[in-house]
Amino acid sequence: MHMHKFEKIWLIFGVTALLVFLSVLGVSAFYLGNQPPSCLAVVDPTKVDEHETFKEPGLKKVEGKDWDYELVFVAQAFAYTPGTVEVPLGAKVKVIATSKDVIHGFGVAGTNINMMVEPGYISEIVTTFDKVGEYLVLCNEYCGSGHHLMTSMIKVVE
Amino acid sequence: MAKAELKSETKTEIEDSSSLKGTLVSVFFVGFFIVVLWVGVYFLYLDRF
Repeated sequence: MHMHKFEKIWLIFGVTALLVFLSVLGVSAFYLGNQPPSCLAVVDPTKVDEHETFKEPGLKKVEGKDWDYELVFVAQAFAYTPGTVEVPLGAKVKVIATSKDVIHGFGVAGTNINMMVEPGYISEIVTTFDKVGEYLVLCNEYCGSGHHLMTSMIKVVE
Repeated sequence: MAKAELKSETKTEIEDSSSLKGTLVSVFFVGFFIVVLWVGVYFLYLDRF
């Protein structure tokens, strides 16, 4: 089959780009251990308030784990509990969230924290809050008439 | 006389229609645009917590 030299150049470039992007994905998933925020951890959505993790939402110091704090959020139409929370600068935090009713979003504006919060599932993300500031938590999954009012605030303080 | 004129008309130059230089340039323009965007977004991701 005759193929123009330029076509060969472009095909090599395209296939190389594809391999690079797929390798990045593979390294991220299988070497760095990145996984979806909601990964096989479940909770009974009708018994969230009695659940060991979710009965006291907010920031908790933990010992003997890869992270220093656990920041627990409970989402329900149309609010997050807690409504505001302070996190010390530089703290390595595992953010843990679930929903009591419908699917909500948990997006922290200006950061990489962005996950779906589904009833029955526990969404988790580990991050280090290394910049001082006020970070708005937004629901970015349409959840009903008060969706646009559903916010919380994470304050990173020194 | 008429025959000679006909002969000169058929000798049109057509070599440019098969050139893929412009195609290569435009296709690499799109390709590098995608790569630059990807790298930009990746470094934005690394910069944020």
